[in-house]
Amino acid sequence: MDADRGYPDGRVPLREPGEPDPGVRVRRDSIRKARRISNWTAAALVVGTGAAAVALAHHSFPAAAPATGGVTAGAAGQGGGAGTSAGRTGASTQATSGPQVTHSVATTTASGVTVTTTTRTVNGKTVVTQVRHAPAHADD
Amino acid sequence: MRAAALALTCAAPWQQVATGDDVVAVAERAALGTSARVAVWPPTCLGVACAAMDEVLAALDQQASRFREDSELSWLHGAGGGIFVLSDGLAEAVGVALAAARWTGGRADPTVGEALISLGYNRDFADIDQQDGEPPADPTPAPGWHRVRLDGPLLRLPPGVRLDLGATAKGVGSDRAVRTVMSAIGHQGGVLVSLGGDIAVAGTPPRDGWPVTVAEAPDHAGPPLPQLVRLTGGAVATSSVTCRRWRRGGVTLHHIVDPGTGRPADGPWRTASVTAATCADANAAATAAIVAGRAAVSWLTREDLPARLVGQDGEVRYLGGWPAVSGLPVPVLSSSRVYAGARPPGGVG
Repeated sequence: MDADRGYPDGRVPLREPGEPDPGVRVRRDSIRKARRISNWTAAALVVGTGAAAVALAHHSFPAAAPATGGVTAGAAGQGGGAGTSAGRTGASTQATSGPQVTHSVATTTASGVTVTTTTRTVNGKTVVTQVRHAPAHADD
Repeated sequence: MRAAALALTCAAPWQQVATGDDVVAVAERAALGTSARVAVWPPTCLGVACAAMDEVLAALDQQASRFREDSELSWLHGAGGGIFVLSDGLAEAVGVALAAARWTGGRADPTVGEALISLGYNRDFADIDQQDGEPPADPTPAPGWHRVRLDGPLLRLPPGVRLDLGATAKGVGSDRAVRTVMSAIGHQGGVLVSLGGDIAVAGTPPRDGWPVTVAEAPDHAGPPLPQLVRLTGGAVATSSVTCRRWRRGGVTLHHIVDPGTGRPADGPWRTASVTAATCADANAAATAAIVAGRAAVSWLTREDLPARLVGQDGEVRYLGGWPAVSGLPVPVLSSSRVYAGARPPGGVG
């Protein structure tokens, strides 16, 4: 190639400013090729590691948790209720290790249920009576 | 006689509640003039959790009840003002209440005690005659939280100022309870505690979060329909003017008092549910939203608090990422505002 650009006496003209050195171009191509191979290798490693982690996690926490007392794994996310860092809790990000609970376990509501509990003894037996006072609504 | 009856109430037995999921255990009992509920996993920890709850509830009632003659708070009121050395538990509860008042611009003000009494809310709500009665006394605006000073355990309470910790005490109780239960069960699994509908969670939540129903009142039948949300951390609390209502002089009254007027709040929102990092935060914010009226939306937005507001006409407004449909997780702030101004939630005290 260079010979085509040379003079008859064998001299090779200087490259124009900005024109790439052919040798550099070859080296760059080699580096690009190596980078591409490295990227693919890294990507494969990441995917493989992720798949292994998912498989392990799935194995550790089966979809249907044991009925009684068998769920003891999963220490991630433990701690008190009072937060210490700024920002918001990503609602779905930390809830991956507990059992699956489908039914409501509590109701947030105004504290309208007032329960009066009395305990008395009748014929030697303890009788507990609870009276619930229903809340009065806006139409009363 | 009165103290004995209340002691019986505190000693009410836990009753296990079947929710349909046997991977968590749930129990409920009467406490603090309302209901206490604990849900825990693994379910084998329920007995330990209930015992831990008993400890927290008994201590809180002894410290902060406005209706027990033998409570620490009643003793302060009986002294007619002065400087007092508080127990650690009451100091925390008062500190949180004052911090909440500062945070909410005085909308959740603990000095509304006298205002509530003047409206007729002068005893446990179960003992109040909810039928129509004599007209209430002239409204008594709150003297203002800034008149109360707390320096560590030292409280300066001016004469005539009566504290009502209703806007934060159940939240403080839920915060204490989840921490105490988690400690009691060795920080394994997770726990949810509800005191009168003010809910805190700790530990590892169930997958996708604790399923929690959001409703105006426990047996509310009309629109809007209850909503199911999932709580993965922090707390959620609800304040509403649809509960704890009574009549005097032909007028329906309720327990959420506007500190500025001494009258029941009568803004555009009848129910406010708020999530926050702690239950004391959520409890105070929900009450403040009711009192704030039209300013509630801007305040909640400025504070970045997810909220569900129900208007007097039943229309629902969702703020701060609160999902508009059922079954989804609700976002929760991860930093407390009220405990930052008081001592951190700790032991039962």
